[in-house]
Amino acid sequence: MQSRKLGWLLLAPTLAVLFLFGVVPFFYVIYVAFHQWNPFAANPEMIFNGADNFRQVVFDAGFLASLGVTMAFVFFAVLTELIIGYLLAQAFMKDFPGKAIFRTIHTLPLIMAPIIVGSIWKLMTTPSIGIIPHLLDSWFGYDLNIGQSAGAAFAITVIMDVWHWTPLVTLTLIAALVSLPPDPFEQAQIDGANKRQIFWHITLPMIAPAVVATVFIRLMDALRTVDEVLMLTGGGPGSATRYVGVHIFKEVFPRTNYGYGSAVSVIVLYLTIVVCWLLYVGMLAPRNTKKG
Amino acid sequence: MTDPLDRPAPGTRPDDDTPEAAKPGFLPIETNWFDRLFISVVVWVALSLFWFRFIEPMGPSIWISNAIALALAALIITKG
Repeated sequence: MQSRKLGWLLLAPTLAVLFLFGVVPFFYVIYVAFHQWNPFAANPEMIFNGADNFRQVVFDAGFLASLGVTMAFVFFAVLTELIIGYLLAQAFMKDFPGKAIFRTIHTLPLIMAPIIVGSIWKLMTTPSIGIIPHLLDSWFGYDLNIGQSAGAAFAITVIMDVWHWTPLVTLTLIAALVSLPPDPFEQAQIDGANKRQIFWHITLPMIAPAVVATVFIRLMDALRTVDEVLMLTGGGPGSATRYVGVHIFKEVFPRTNYGYGSAVSVIVLYLTIVVCWLLYVGMLAPRNTKKG
Repeated sequence: MTDPLDRPAPGTRPDDDTPEAAKPGFLPIETNWFDRLFISVVVWVALSLFWFRFIEPMGPSIWISNAIALALAALIITKG
């Protein structure tokens, strides 16, 4: 009994911080989502308006379009990060000259603030001064202008995200690969399994929990991308890179429409939870074997 | 209410005799009561949004959707 009290006592500071900075804001956003609230309007009071904000969300063409491009962004970014991250993790499992230096350099993007990443990529992609348009023009005769081409702007935001976050995927997958026991691999090699069979039937099932956890983290991050994209493209051209995070930012801050912004945030949180849960059900959840 | 400190370590399955033990139902995955409550909330929100977008403009009130969601929740929690 004494140890249980001590356990709660030791947990108390963490629980208090979680409650203050996690639970309270979460319920406050839900509360605000059911109100019309513009603190800079003629009437700055919160006015309860039921589910009107949610009614507005499902008919908001701007939001629905931003949801579409966000899903495309998340799909391409997370899938690419997973593939490149896995290949790099496999590469780092082997010894080669300069491995330590390469691994350090490869991890550097992780320590950079997203707004800095956005600034760097903006400088690199600005026509006439950026290195990327210069090289693409001199090598392939391609005129990259992310201020005019929607496809190019979308692709550059995906590449920027991949550049920034692939090291995280690599590190988590290295940790997963290092922890694998050697016996199943040796046994498979003795049985004559080729590399592809070993990957699909041994490596992938054994690192699946780590892969799913990594995808969860990246999925949640990618769905709420704001600062990098806002810095790089400002959501444009048009609404080509107006991802939901950018949409919420533009709704909440310049227009100070807090009630509606909160409703959109709640919907995005809901979608994030549902997508992660479906992924968990698809890949890890124990199947129901008995019929009730 | 189970004391969180008594819960099994992450990655381990609870014993069959604990209150949180998974039970078989019509859902394709093993679930405990909290999973079924979570699924009910997910279904409720999805149904409400669908109702707002496609059904409510034709007239039926959102309360019908809430009643359907409540019935579904009762079904999922008891039989899921």
